[in-house]
Amino acid sequence: MDYDVDVAIVGGGLSGISAAIIAAKNGLSVIVLERGEYSGSKNVSGGRMYIHSLKRLMGNKFKDAPLELPIKKETFEIYNKGRKTTFSFENKEKEDSYSILRSKFDRWLASEAENNGVTISYSTLVTNVRRENGIMVVESNRGDIRTPLVIESDGAASFVSRYMGLSKLDMNYKMENIKNISKNDNFIPKNFMLGIKEIIDKKPENEMGEAKTVLGLSGDIKGGGFVYTNKDSYSIGLTLKIDSIETNDIKSYDIMEDYREKLGIDGKILEYSAHLIPFYKYDYLPKRYDDNLIVTGDAAGFLLNDGFTIRGMDLAIESGMIAGNAAKKIIDSKDYSDTYIYEKMLEDSFVLKDLKTASRISSLFGNERTFNVYPSMISNLIDTMFTVTDNPRKNIKYALMDEIKNNNISYFTVINDLLKVI
Amino acid sequence: MELIKRLGLNKNEVGNESHITVNLDICKNCIDKPCTKVCPAGTYEADKEKILIVHYERCVECGAALFACPYGSLKFKYPEKGISYMYG
Repeated sequence: MDYDVDVAIVGGGLSGISAAIIAAKNGLSVIVLERGEYSGSKNVSGGRMYIHSLKRLMGNKFKDAPLELPIKKETFEIYNKGRKTTFSFENKEKEDSYSILRSKFDRWLASEAENNGVTISYSTLVTNVRRENGIMVVESNRGDIRTPLVIESDGAASFVSRYMGLSKLDMNYKMENIKNISKNDNFIPKNFMLGIKEIIDKKPENEMGEAKTVLGLSGDIKGGGFVYTNKDSYSIGLTLKIDSIETNDIKSYDIMEDYREKLGIDGKILEYSAHLIPFYKYDYLPKRYDDNLIVTGDAAGFLLNDGFTIRGMDLAIESGMIAGNAAKKIIDSKDYSDTYIYEKMLEDSFVLKDLKTASRISSLFGNERTFNVYPSMISNLIDTMFTVTDNPRKNIKYALMDEIKNNNISYFTVINDLLKVI
Repeated sequence: MELIKRLGLNKNEVGNESHITVNLDICKNCIDKPCTKVCPAGTYEADKEKILIVHYERCVECGAALFACPYGSLKFKYPEKGISYMYG
């Protein structure tokens, strides 16, 4: 069977380049097709990477990685009707995650891959992928490439999976009030969040990176905010559930404007960007393997949120590395239709294990209580405890019980939600 | 800051042809126009006469609109050039 390369990788982001580096180290011929004029030019992330996978991928080259600041301080801010509750955790020794700017970072990672013998074809837009006589034909604006194995690393919108008919949009709802349509469990916008981000020209006060999670500044829209400090700037932004934007009356870019003003971070805006974020329930993650195809990173829906950590980038690198090793086994076997080995390797890795562990708590992020009721309860409770009036003072336990009662939720529900967290 | 000014901060090489098409026969019956709320770049503008105006030159290629329209009206492909972020 004739083909051009052992592996064609669609998308030169974190997972695609990681897959390419490992596949090349395994002796395979690899080409990466990147839509942007350089890697990272189309990429946006909130801005914090947990670096464990990157360290393993890069070995002693890790020290050259253009990361921003090590995150040593974690802060939660809950806004509610003019009140703000904050709690922080600080550990000066901590260096497991860094703030990051993807345009610079991905470009560096791509050049490291090129040093390892990977070919990256930039400004290359893949327009279709089809199967022909047991191999894949990847069509692009720069011509066709024939390959026994495609690694799909093209982000949350996963065009390759859709070209192959693996994931379908099927958005043909009967025209009616969108609030009714959005009640469908399989309403596609529920599987995605919209990330909107701005880079603010302001140098942080110190070299100790800080990550802030902000709740209560996206109005009635389910979602949260973030603030990360970089070496010379701040990354601020929101992640908003798309179904929730659709059923509210405010435009996404106006919420962002409002968010920045309420945060009160002054400085020139240097960049305004947006990105699609996968937000699947664990049991509904897209199919990750098919004949001649394996899927990595955002395209595979790998995003983890357990209430404390939000991770996509380490899962992208790890799944890419696994794909690079699986590719070697698939190509050696000469049975290009049997790609199950990739799935098996994912199951044995932290990628699927951590996603599964987080899935219980992730279910909280789909419910109204998390975004509206609990933030207001916490604010009310703390407000009560710090307020003195003529009325006899309530013990905190009774104040909490009153809060639960006033919000019309049962103790059982509260305990059940709480158990998901711990 | 106005959205248009925010978008003006980015380098965006816009092509001559729209990479987004909508089916106005569907859009004309759509009351909520969810695309106009979801798109972070204000690409979709509801209009009394023209029903829906697509300002494709504003698009930042996030792909959100593709998943936002519940009626299958929107067709989206990536442009050949388009946005290049400096920070990301």
